[in-house]
Amino acid sequence: MLALASAAADAQKKVLRVAFRTAETGFDPQRIDDRYSVGICENFFEPLLTYDYLARPVKLIALAAESVPEPEEKGTRYTFRIRPGILFADDPAFKGAKRELTARDVEYSIKRFRDPKNRSPYAWLFEDKLVGLDELAEKAKKADFDYEAKIPGLEVRDRYTISFKLKEPDYNFLYVLAMPNVVPVAREVIEAYGTDTHAHPVGTGPFVLKEWVRRSKIVLERNPNHRGYELDTRYADPKDEWDRRAMEQLHGKRLPALDRVEIYPIEDDQPRFLAFLNREHDLIDETPTSFIHQILPNGKLAPNLARLGVKVFREEQPELTYDPFNLDDPVVGGYTPDRVGLRRALVMAHDREAEINFIRKGQALTAQSPVPPGIVGYDPDFRTRAQEYDPAKSKALLDMFGYVDRDGDGWRDAPDGKPLTLTYKYNIGGDSRALAELWVKSLTEIGIRLETQPVQFADLLKDKKVGKFQMAGSAWIADYPDAQNFLQLLYGPYTGQSNEARFRLPEYDRLYEKSIAMPDGEERNRIYREMNRLLLAYAPWRLGVHRIFNHLQYPWVKGYKKHPILYTNFKYLDVDVAAQQLAMK
Amino acid sequence: MAAYVIRRLWQMIPTLAGVILLIFILFNWVGGDPAHVLAGKISNPEQIANIRKQLGVDEPYWYQLLVFVKQVFTFDFGRSWSTNEEVSRILLTRVGPTLTIMIPVLVIETVIAVTLAVMVAYVRGTVTDRATMTICTVAMSISFLVYIIFFQWLFGFILGWFPVQGWSESFTKNLFTYAPLPIMLAIAVGLAPALRLYRSFFLDEINQDYVRTARAKGLPEKVVMMKHVMRNALIPILTNVGIALPGVFVGSFLLEVFFSIPGLGREIITAVNRSDFPVIKAVTVYLAVLTMLINLLVDVMYKFADPRVSFK
Repeated sequence: MLALASAAADAQKKVLRVAFRTAETGFDPQRIDDRYSVGICENFFEPLLTYDYLARPVKLIALAAESVPEPEEKGTRYTFRIRPGILFADDPAFKGAKRELTARDVEYSIKRFRDPKNRSPYAWLFEDKLVGLDELAEKAKKADFDYEAKIPGLEVRDRYTISFKLKEPDYNFLYVLAMPNVVPVAREVIEAYGTDTHAHPVGTGPFVLKEWVRRSKIVLERNPNHRGYELDTRYADPKDEWDRRAMEQLHGKRLPALDRVEIYPIEDDQPRFLAFLNREHDLIDETPTSFIHQILPNGKLAPNLARLGVKVFREEQPELTYDPFNLDDPVVGGYTPDRVGLRRALVMAHDREAEINFIRKGQALTAQSPVPPGIVGYDPDFRTRAQEYDPAKSKALLDMFGYVDRDGDGWRDAPDGKPLTLTYKYNIGGDSRALAELWVKSLTEIGIRLETQPVQFADLLKDKKVGKFQMAGSAWIADYPDAQNFLQLLYGPYTGQSNEARFRLPEYDRLYEKSIAMPDGEERNRIYREMNRLLLAYAPWRLGVHRIFNHLQYPWVKGYKKHPILYTNFKYLDVDVAAQQLAMK
Repeated sequence: MAAYVIRRLWQMIPTLAGVILLIFILFNWVGGDPAHVLAGKISNPEQIANIRKQLGVDEPYWYQLLVFVKQVFTFDFGRSWSTNEEVSRILLTRVGPTLTIMIPVLVIETVIAVTLAVMVAYVRGTVTDRATMTICTVAMSISFLVYIIFFQWLFGFILGWFPVQGWSESFTKNLFTYAPLPIMLAIAVGLAPALRLYRSFFLDEINQDYVRTARAKGLPEKVVMMKHVMRNALIPILTNVGIALPGVFVGSFLLEVFFSIPGLGREIITAVNRSDFPVIKAVTVYLAVLTMLINLLVDVMYKFADPRVSFK
């Protein structure tokens, strides 16, 4: 009888089943940077701030903090008060006691980013940022990191209050504190599990890790200690069908509504897509582009999917693909008119429409600037012809600067008469090979010989960081929704780090430094536009595209809307169990 | 026999040393620098140096090689560089799903291939023989990937006979629910070349003088085939199965990726992509040792298959 009752109760549980296109690496928030692991961590942990679920453009709201603080001391101080009574999920490390979140947990977690032992991939967020933290990190090179040390940059004023003191004004700092891995963890848990912290994500979030078969199955269950909340509709747009639907479907519900979430990493496109069609999964995010004609023939949802009540959410990704030129390279690098002319000619020779129509299957937008739509600082009116496909203009530019065929072999030579053969490095796998071939085809059309060099991902990263390339493929996805996160990719002092093009233009650097000390506003947007113009003028990159993803859901999934920065939305979703079970029969 | 086995075991040491040296050189030559992957999107040379130090890849090559040798003999390859999971745990947890697929594949494929090979060899030159060989040639010409994509779509999605993908904690459920389609596909792909090969082994034997003698003595054809031909053809068949056996423990990367099987094949590819040297080292050494041990086992089994074989 008991077993039957238990089975009946299980059958009534609200279970969401989803597939991820890439396997996770682990769940220690300060030690991961891959999108999928971080996305799962969004459900275990809670940052001080987060983004409103429905607001577009995105809007910061308080989560573990009581409110979004105002900048103090000209943007160099931010003081947070944590909501009292927030509890961590139960864990043996707490020895049976309930454990409340305090300001010390926030202090400890921020310090973890700079502890060399953690080799945090997001250490850069807090480099040269908080007063006293760099010095602490420096000392940790010779001894253990001193987590007890008091520093002015992380001032714990009382049990619930922490104040961050920055070295320089930074009006984007609040975005950093809304990142899903800038979250408080409990020191007892981290110390109890030592090297195995990836398997013990104990946070204050709405879900806990129930089961983890690495790279195969991740099961989340509702955290019984979580306080719960209701959907905040202050910033919703009633004209938006997704907002309207979410408001109707989640009205009056205590969130999270789901009892359990099952995540299956499935790397290959076909099984992931077929599993969705077979109703083995309830939704599929980032539907494979290879199946786009089956999903959206002529841009409309396929009739067979529409009949099933499937909805498609089209999302312009807050990301950019681009091809950097190495500005230190003796052939394509430099700032003299002939080198700038060469790069601009190469960019104009590239058939970007072919890239979008054939390789991206129409699921991408032409990038007009490095800043994608939906990002603060994005200017929808900023249009440029500087990177438009124009082989005639490209050839004219090359002729003008002396890149002509001097030996009659059919290929253009350098102005000094040496043969001109360029090299393009790209990562093995995905669409990269097709993109490389498009480069070859495009440059062949203007008489330039291009050799392509496929390399392992690790090698490509290394080669770009040390400047061992001429042209390469790259992409950047927003860490936080401000143009600065993209424009820093060309900041001179970041050469060898994020500035792969090794672009060092004093005028650009000056504007960048000015912009980071300014709050969002028209004046800062004007500077951003100026930086975009410099990029287009000197052409350290070929601007690529902003990809479009299509996310599909069955009708029994309620409350769906995709957020551009947060990867998962499980805490806002609900499932109509009866409809789900009927469809599975 | 004992002396033979001991001698063969002793001979494995230089082979293993060669394997260790080869892996080490290959990783340091073309393996990529894992520090740049682990350092994240934005990193400075200092962070890269810190990671290299923690991984031990900044040590002199001779020292790194020494550590590798020590790891081989202590069976402790440490933790994965990308996930921090113990390498021994990775091997132990991933080998089960791989064997669940690959053992049935090897057994069923061998039984079917040998049976069919005897049959077509027996009717050699007939329409049945020629038709079978034509089918085998066609089947061999199609890529494994095409088989997977088509039959996953047909049997998993259109007909719904099997789940499209998946794996569970239950061995029985895995074997009878999730494994049958991948097993069938692997057999379908492996059967044609095995059948052709085994048929040729049988034909070689059928044309031998001793078979003619047996027939001249008036032995029934069944006895000729099953007692004389089969026994002699078994040695090359055993060799072929022996060669395939280490692959059973590594699995099929394609099957594991397409059917979401958490096996070793998928793990190896992920490790290579992430320059996860501890996992690569452990798997390669484990595979080398396994290959050598299986070869030894096959050589010993020759004796039982054919008493004329002697250990020298």
